[in-house]
Amino acid sequence: MQARNRYEPGPEVDSFYHLRGCDLAGRACQGTACFVARNSLGEAQPCEDPRVYCLGRCFESPATGLSELRPHIEVHSREAVVLKRMVEGGARSLDDYWRGGGYHALEAARAAPPEAVLDAVEKSGLRGRGGAGFPTGRKWRAAVAQKSAPKYVVANADEGDAGAFSDRFLMEDDPHALIEGMAIAAHAIGAARGWIYLRHEYPSARLSLEQALAEVRAAGILGRGFDIEIFVGQGSYICGEESALLLSIEGRRPEVMARPPYLTERGIFGQPTVANNVETFATVPWIIEHGGDAYHALGFSKSRGTKLVSLNSLFVRPGLYEVEFGIPVRRIVEEIGGGLRAGALKGVIIGGPLAGIIPPGLLDTPFGFEELAAIGASAGHGGVIAFDEHTSIVALVRHVFSFGAYESCGKCTPCRLGTRLIEEIFAKADDGEWREIVSALKWTSLCGHGMGLAAFAESVMQYYGEEVASCFA
Amino acid sequence: MLRVTINGRPREMPEGATILDALRAHGADVPTLCHDERLHPSGACRLCVVAVKGWNRHATACNTPLLDGMEIETHSPAVEDARRTLLRLQAADYPAAAVVQAPDKPFHHWLRHYGIQAGDGAGKHFTDTTHPYLHVDMAQCITCSRCIRICDEVQGQFAWRAWGRGDATRILPNRGDSLLESDCVSCGACADTCPTGAIEDRSVLEHGRPDAWTRTVCPYCGTGCEMLVGTRDDRIVQVKPVADAPVSKGHLCVKGRYAFGFTHSPDRVREPMIREGSEWRTVTWEEANRFVATRLQETLDAHGPQSVGMLGSARGTNEENYVAQKFARVVLGTNNVDCCARVCHAPTAAAMRRMLGTGAATNSFDDIEHAAAFLICGCNPTEGHPIVGARIKQAVLRGARLVVIDPRATELTLHADVHLALRPGTNLPLLNALAHVILDESLADETALRERVSGGEEFREFIRAWTPERAAEICGVKADDIRAAARIYATSAPAMAFHGLGMTEQVQGTEGVMALVNLALLTGNFGKPGSGVNPLRGQNNVQGSAHMGCEPGHLTGYVPIEQGRDVFAAAWDTPLPKVRGLNLMEMIDAAGRRELKALWAIGYDVAFTNPDMLRTHDALSSVRLVIVQDLFFNELAREFGHVFLPAASPFEKDGTFMNSERRIQRVRRVVAAPGQARADWEIVCGVAREMGFGAAFAFHSVEEIWNEIRSVWKAGAGISYARLEHGGLQWPCPDESHPGTAILHAESFAGSKTAPLQCVDFQESTEATSPDYPLLLTTGRTLYQFNAGTMTMRTPNRELRRTDMLDISPADAARLGLGEGESVRVFSRHGVVEMPLHIDPRVKAGELFATFHARETGLNRLTGKGRDKQVMTPEYKVVAVRVERKGGDCG
Repeated sequence: MQARNRYEPGPEVDSFYHLRGCDLAGRACQGTACFVARNSLGEAQPCEDPRVYCLGRCFESPATGLSELRPHIEVHSREAVVLKRMVEGGARSLDDYWRGGGYHALEAARAAPPEAVLDAVEKSGLRGRGGAGFPTGRKWRAAVAQKSAPKYVVANADEGDAGAFSDRFLMEDDPHALIEGMAIAAHAIGAARGWIYLRHEYPSARLSLEQALAEVRAAGILGRGFDIEIFVGQGSYICGEESALLLSIEGRRPEVMARPPYLTERGIFGQPTVANNVETFATVPWIIEHGGDAYHALGFSKSRGTKLVSLNSLFVRPGLYEVEFGIPVRRIVEEIGGGLRAGALKGVIIGGPLAGIIPPGLLDTPFGFEELAAIGASAGHGGVIAFDEHTSIVALVRHVFSFGAYESCGKCTPCRLGTRLIEEIFAKADDGEWREIVSALKWTSLCGHGMGLAAFAESVMQYYGEEVASCFA
Repeated sequence: MLRVTINGRPREMPEGATILDALRAHGADVPTLCHDERLHPSGACRLCVVAVKGWNRHATACNTPLLDGMEIETHSPAVEDARRTLLRLQAADYPAAAVVQAPDKPFHHWLRHYGIQAGDGAGKHFTDTTHPYLHVDMAQCITCSRCIRICDEVQGQFAWRAWGRGDATRILPNRGDSLLESDCVSCGACADTCPTGAIEDRSVLEHGRPDAWTRTVCPYCGTGCEMLVGTRDDRIVQVKPVADAPVSKGHLCVKGRYAFGFTHSPDRVREPMIREGSEWRTVTWEEANRFVATRLQETLDAHGPQSVGMLGSARGTNEENYVAQKFARVVLGTNNVDCCARVCHAPTAAAMRRMLGTGAATNSFDDIEHAAAFLICGCNPTEGHPIVGARIKQAVLRGARLVVIDPRATELTLHADVHLALRPGTNLPLLNALAHVILDESLADETALRERVSGGEEFREFIRAWTPERAAEICGVKADDIRAAARIYATSAPAMAFHGLGMTEQVQGTEGVMALVNLALLTGNFGKPGSGVNPLRGQNNVQGSAHMGCEPGHLTGYVPIEQGRDVFAAAWDTPLPKVRGLNLMEMIDAAGRRELKALWAIGYDVAFTNPDMLRTHDALSSVRLVIVQDLFFNELAREFGHVFLPAASPFEKDGTFMNSERRIQRVRRVVAAPGQARADWEIVCGVAREMGFGAAFAFHSVEEIWNEIRSVWKAGAGISYARLEHGGLQWPCPDESHPGTAILHAESFAGSKTAPLQCVDFQESTEATSPDYPLLLTTGRTLYQFNAGTMTMRTPNRELRRTDMLDISPADAARLGLGEGESVRVFSRHGVVEMPLHIDPRVKAGELFATFHARETGLNRLTGKGRDKQVMTPEYKVVAVRVERKGGDCG
C-alpha cells in the first residue's frame, strides 16, 4: 500500500523557507567565507533580511549577487577522478561529455547486473562526499535489500555549507557526470525515478542541468525506465539534511526526522530512497570505468579516493582542487592555497561552520574523515575557509550561532532555543550559561545541525578559550 | 529477546521495543514532554535522553530502538544536567503563573521536579477564546507539536500547523484566526495531549479540575467509545478518552468529549407529572405509578393487549430494554414492543439474519487496520461515527483504497478512489451492477463461492442483466466508475464494507443490504480480518435495545418468538402472548385507525422523529394514554402526553451498552440523577409492582437483570459483570471461559455452512420527482448535532451548529435565485417547512440535503409514507420537494 498525500500543504509550509521568490541580484552573501573576507578587508557586515548564506562564490569573497566568474581549478591527486573535464573547461553539452568518454560507464553498468555495480562501489571504499562520510556501497545495498517498490534516487545538491562551491561548478560545467552517476545508482538499486534537490541560490546550475537532462532524454539515455527531475529549494540550509530534504520534496514541512527508519528503508513518499551528494554521484562513473580497486588505491586509511576542496578568497590561490585523502591539511593551506594573501592565519574551518576550527598548530593533521574528527574538526563537504586575525573569535562565534539559529528547523529544544541564546550571549559578550547549552547541543541535539554547532563551540573553548575569556571579562 | 543493562541491572525486552518501552517495563521511567503513546515518536523535546555506553551523544528513549547489549543509564549526572538545561531553555519565556494554576500538567511537574523557575511569558502569542470548548493561549506552547501530530495522526484533520521555523516556529490553526475558522472538528484531542495547558478544555477553566473520575461509555452513537468522566461537586466538568479503550483507543469526538452539558441542563424534569387539562401537576412516584398502572389496566380490560404499545429506548441500557420488553410481554401481554431500530437498521438485521444467520456486524472496528479497501455505502462516518471515520481516514491515508457510495460528497469522498454519487433511491441497481462486474470480469473468489456460498448459478443468470451501463443510466453515475469500484472492492483483499442509513431508510432497504451482502459473499470478504459487512449503528445502544427484545417479532438475543417461546415462558413463568406484535410504524397506523389506546415511549420522541409528521400527530392525538419517560419535556409529552416519568441520563445509572460490533461494555453512574428522576429500569419495575407483577420484576440491581438476560440468551451467557470490569466482550460468548467473538462466520454461518446469494430486482420509489416537486431531498445528521437534538441542542454544540440547514447545489441556488442563508419554504407532498438555505458544492444539482435536529424546523413534516417493504423502516432518504423563497414564488 502506498501512502497518500496526507493534506494539501499551504502557506504554513511556505513560511518555513526564507527565499521564496527572492531575487538574489544585489543581495550580499552573509556566508562564513564572506564574513571573514569582510573582516579582513575591514568592511562592515551586511544585516539585510532575508539573509543569503553562501552564493558559492567563496573564492572571490566578499560577494554580492550572482556572478558567472569561474574559480581556478587544479588536480592535485594522482588521478583526476572528478575534475578531469573541469580542468579542460568543463563539458556542458552532451557532445562534449561524449567526446570525453561520457556515459560509457552507464552503458557498461546497464549491460551488467546491478550486483556488479554494487560490488565495484563497495570495493572502491567510496564514502558520502556531503559530509557524513557514510559508505556509499553500504547505503545502496540497504536500499536494494528493501522489498518495497518503487525506489528512488536523490542527488543532494543543496550545497549549503558556507565555503564549498564544488557542487555548484560541477553542476554548471559538468552536469552529465551527476546525471550519469545517478543513472548508474538507479540501475544498481532498481530505481524508477530520481530528483536533484537544488538550492535556490544556484540558478545557473538549474539551467545547465535542465539543458543536460533535455539532451539525455532526447538521446534516449534517460526517460525509459528512469528519469530525473529537478526540485529547486526555497531557501533553507536544513534541507541539506536528508530527512528534511525528502520532506521538502514531498511538499511537507521540512523538519528533521529522527532515524530510524532510514531513507533507504522509508524515504520519499515512504519508498526506499538513496540520497547522495553531487560529488559522490559524479565520482561513480569513474569507479565503474576504472574499477573499485583503482579508486581504492587512491587516498589512505578509511578515507579512500579523492576529494574536492574549495579554498576561500583569503588564500593566495583560491579555487577548486581535487586532492587525495591523506595529504596533510598544511599542504592544502600552504602549498595548494599558497598561504594567506595578507595577515596571519588564525584558523581554518573545513566543511562549513558546523565543525571544529583547526588552529594553526594542528595543520599537520592528515586530511581524512577519522583523522579530522579526532581533533574535533571535519572533512565535511570540503569547503576550506581560512581566516586571519581580523576576525575576532567572539564575532565568529556570534556569526556562526546567528547562522545556526537562523537555519535551525526548530524541532528539537536545544537547537531551537539554545543556538539563539548563545548568539545573544556572544553578541553581548556577557558570560551566560553558554557552556551548558553547548553541552546540551552536543549530547541531545536531534541532528548534525546542533551537534555541528556544538563541535564548533567546543573547538573555540579548546583552542581559543583565552581570547573568549578576555572578551567576556 | 534483547538483553540490555538498565542502570547496572540486566534486563530483557522483546525485539522491536524502544528504549522507553524498556525503561517503562522495568520501572526506570524518564521524563517526556513530546511523547504520547497514541503518536509516532517525534524525538523533539529531548527530555527523555539517556546515556548509552559507547555512544557519542545521548539517545532519546522515546524513538531509539533498543539494541541488544545496550548499557543504559537513565539518571547519570550528565543526563540530568542536560535535562535541566533543556527545561531551563523551555522555561525562560514561559509564564510562571500557569505552573501554579495547573500543577498536574507534565511540563509543570517536571519544572517543579528539577527546581526550575519559569519566566513571565511576556511577548505576543496566539490566543483563541472564541471556541465554545477549547481555550488556546500559546504563551504556554513549548513547541512539542503533540497538538499537530494528534490532529494529523489520530483525527486526520490537519487543523494545527507549524508556521515559520527555528525559534520563530509558531503553532497556529491551518486557516483563519481561530479554530472556528480552521478545519478543526472540535474533537479536543489537542487539548487532551497538550502537556502544558496551552490548549485546554474551557470546562476545566470555568468549573475547576475534576476530583473524581469514572470510566463509562459514551451516550451518543453506536461506536462505543469508552470515556473517563471527571466530576467535581457532583457535576461533570471534563471528559477524557480512555487510553486502552478497544474501540476509541484514546480518542473521542466533539459529542462524546464535550456535549455532556445536557445532563445538568436546568430544564431536566425532576419530578413525575400528570396532565390535568392543559396543566401539568407534579406528583409523587407513588401517585404516578398508581396512575400509570390504573390507566394501563383499564385500557387492557377495555380494549385488550393489542391496544397497548411500548417503545424501548436506544438511549437506555441493555438491562432497561430487557425489562421494558419483558414488561410488555409479561405484564401487558402483548408483543407490541419496538424501538428506534425500526427507523434505522431493522433492514440490516433482517437482511443479514436471513443471509448470514446473524443480523449484526460481521467484523470489528479493529479490522479497519487490516482492510486493504473500504466500501462505504450510505454512511458518513466522519460526521455520524467520528471515531470510526477517523480510523478509516487514517487507514486510507496509509494507502488503503476507498470506494464511497453516497449521493453527496462527504469528507471521505475527498480521499476516495471512486465516489459513486448515485441518485437517491437507486442503491439496488448500483450494487447489482457491482456484482455483475465482479462475475463478468471473473473477480469473484471461486473458492468461497464453491465452499461457502449457495445459489451461485441462479444468481449468475439473474445478474447478467444488471450491466454497469444499465445501472449507470438509472443511478446517474458513469459505467466505468462502477467497473473501477467493483475492481477495487474485489481485488483488494481483504475489503471491508460499512453501511448506514443511506442503505436502510429506503423502500428497498432490506433488499439493498442483501445486495451488499451478495458482494461480500461473491468476493469471499467474510469470516476473516479486514472484511465483512458492517452496519454503523446510529445510537449508543440501538443494537442492544432490539437485541434485548424490544422488537415485536423477536425475543432477547434476537430469537424469533416461536423459536424462543418455550424457553422464555419457562424463564418468566408465564405464557408468552400469541398475537403477532405491532412494530412502531404499525402502532402509529393502529393509532390512526383509533385502535391503539395506550403508548409508553421510553426515551423516544416519536412525535418529532417519525416521518410524515402531520399524519403521525393526527394518529397520536387519538391515543388516550401516552406515557412519556424521558429526561426532558419533549414534543411527545408537550403535544400528546398524559403522564411524564422523569428518567436518569446515561451518566446517572449503571448497566451495559452494546455497540455496533456486538461489544457489551459497562456503563457506570457518574453523578446522581436530579430530583426524583430514576433509571428507566427502576421506573418500569415500579409500575410492574403496582400492577401486581412484583415477583417477576424484583430486581435490586442492574447486575441481577443482566444475570437474568444471560440465563435466557445463550450467546451472551459468558458475559458476566465481573468480566466486564476489564473491558468489553463481543458476543457470541457462550461461556465464561470464552474470549468473545471479534469476527463472525469464519467457519460457518449461524446454522449453515453456506450462505445464499439473493436475486433482488429494482423497484423505483414512489417519491419520484414531478414538475411540482422537482428536487430530491435526503436527510441525515451532522457532526455537531445528534438526532432529535434532545441532548446536543442543550450543549454549546449549538454554537457550532445552530439549526438545520437546507443544503442546495450552487447550480440550483443560482437557477432559483436563492442566496446563502436565505430562509426558504420547502414543500413536499406531505407537508411544508421553513429553514435557512446553505449553498453547498457537495450537493449535486437536482438534490438537496438537510439535517433533522432542530425543533423549530420539524423536518419530518416533509418526509413521507414510503417504507421498507419487509420491515417498514421509513424512507427518510428520498423525498420529492420544491423550494420557494419565503414569501416569494420560485420553482
